[in-house]
Amino acid sequence: MTPRLRTVVAVAGAAVLVRRALRRRIGTSPLWPLPALEDPVSGRPRSRTLALRVARHERVADGVVLLRLEGTDLPPWEPGAHLDLVLPSGLVRQYSLCGDPEDRSSYTVATRLVEDGRGGSREVHERLRVGSRVEVRGPRNRFPLVEAPAYVFVVGGIGITPVLPMLRSLPEGTDWRLLYGGRTRASMPFLEETGKLDRTRVTVVAQDEDGLPDLDALFADLAEGTAVYCCGPDGLMAAVEARIPAGSALHLERFTAGAPAAGDTAFEVELRRSGRTVTVPAGSTVLAAVRAELPDMMYSCEQGFCGTCRQRVLEGEVEHRDDLLTDAERDDSMLICVSRTRGGPIVLDM
Amino acid sequence: MSNTQARPPRPVESERTALKARKVSFSWQDTPLHWVPDDPFATHTINVLHLLLPAGERWFVHVYRQALPLIRDERLREDVIGFIGQEATHSQAHDEVLPHLAELGLDPTPYTAQVDWLFEKLLGDRTLPPGRARRWWLLERVALIAAIEHYTAFLGDWILNADELDRRGADPVMLDLLRWHGAEEVEHRSVAFDLFQHVDGSYRRRARTWATAFTALVFLWQRGARFFMENDPTLLDGRASLKDFYTGGKRGVLPPTGDLLKSVPRYLSRSYHPSQEGSTEQAAAYLASSPAATAAAAAEREAGAA
Repeated sequence: MTPRLRTVVAVAGAAVLVRRALRRRIGTSPLWPLPALEDPVSGRPRSRTLALRVARHERVADGVVLLRLEGTDLPPWEPGAHLDLVLPSGLVRQYSLCGDPEDRSSYTVATRLVEDGRGGSREVHERLRVGSRVEVRGPRNRFPLVEAPAYVFVVGGIGITPVLPMLRSLPEGTDWRLLYGGRTRASMPFLEETGKLDRTRVTVVAQDEDGLPDLDALFADLAEGTAVYCCGPDGLMAAVEARIPAGSALHLERFTAGAPAAGDTAFEVELRRSGRTVTVPAGSTVLAAVRAELPDMMYSCEQGFCGTCRQRVLEGEVEHRDDLLTDAERDDSMLICVSRTRGGPIVLDM
Repeated sequence: MSNTQARPPRPVESERTALKARKVSFSWQDTPLHWVPDDPFATHTINVLHLLLPAGERWFVHVYRQALPLIRDERLREDVIGFIGQEATHSQAHDEVLPHLAELGLDPTPYTAQVDWLFEKLLGDRTLPPGRARRWWLLERVALIAAIEHYTAFLGDWILNADELDRRGADPVMLDLLRWHGAEEVEHRSVAFDLFQHVDGSYRRRARTWATAFTALVFLWQRGARFFMENDPTLLDGRASLKDFYTGGKRGVLPPTGDLLKSVPRYLSRSYHPSQEGSTEQAAAYLASSPAATAAAAAEREAGAA
């Protein structure tokens, strides 16, 4: 064999071997050799609305209606999460989820009728029926259960809803206490469920029988690092806030009044990195106000769907009016071309 | 290069148009798995777009956000802003097809997770020192996008003229998505190239990134078509082959292989400019009649009137 021929044979042989090895490798794992992104982005549904069917619509206490909304393969949630309900009139209201997080085929919420409210609760009570379709967005969690050595829950009336799943999810042996207050026993929902919990840890205070709850006694001997969760009327939350001892972390869930109607109000936006504050007039947008200060900033569609103007939110409650962001993205960012404040100033990282 | 001055790219001015994103939406519930009837191979070969575009176009937007401060021309800046909005919308529109495919029993996640990795990690922002290295990586990606856009414009022009798909009764919603997208790609076909010329314009980089982009596209495309064919729950022994691609092109349900090859030397010509190919007029005509685009325009008018 001449040296030249030998080289050709060697190269051809090597090529055949490489080809066979490659085939075998691809045969065992067809998508070799590209790695995959651990947390894939593409193909995840955006925060579009889900249309659910009202499967249960029942009075569970004076002025309180429980709704069970059925669907299939619903997005998971953690205790403390709430749902946006898009009511038939177009009003959007937030209600805490109070069912079982393991149940992926229905969401349960409870709402109290607010007589002098702006109509959201009245609609839930009077216009929704078993069989009605209702659109929901979420769930989202602004009131998550944190890891702590001990817990104290102070709730008033319908404020029990986000706390109920939390209590059920606490591991056996956790040190917790619940103070559940209300005007009358008949007006307090889920009394039966709280009765099923460890009774030594639960104090029920009905104002017409027992007067106001004794918060001072509750906070007298708090262990260091106790997490205090409070959800209820403003008066109760202010009272808890005033008494909370140093060394305890307070978590509040307000009954948000929901989105204001079409007439927007002016508000302030602080641009922390550039050290400026701008005022967004009613009828204008954050984008317009920011562009007056930072003309180079990015934007495109100006209608809340392209995502180009998305900015990180450091502080403030945002009312999201875009069609794009996922719930996780909404937790810390906003599209400044359409979204506004829910009340109070907003701080952006720009 | 010695002769870059002698044969500069020659844009066709009449092909320019103002760019704006359209807020389209598509309803997928009636689209069948094989939306080109009885032609799974053509269906899946075109479906590869849904695998690549969500991550790819998100990446375009990500890169262009960084390139924007380098632009010293007001008109180009406006074009790039319009381009970004359109690309962001394209990415979302294709992304919405993926859950529908999963519902039909063809879960694309194993593949799209890799495409996500490719664009988010491999081609993402690297930890580079600010200055030359970081600028080099940005310019390299801007040039890659210009090369890829050569092919998106080619495909856009093809789908606008692919009458054979209508004759075979292809799903109208899918055709509208592809043609709306294709028309906007034709509309903005010059932006990526103009941006590249504006910030760099080196012929050597153009040729190098073309080679990378072309190889990557061929690799990802054949792989995506094989992935779909092998995982299609209705096919017993689904296979993708180059021969099927060639015959699909002959029948007019896929881009003709010959045209694809002929577009290579055109991009590498020194006087190439994207406005020399395709027709803005045809794109505008389609957008004026597209169900999704006209619905978006009507919704916008309504919002403006409110």
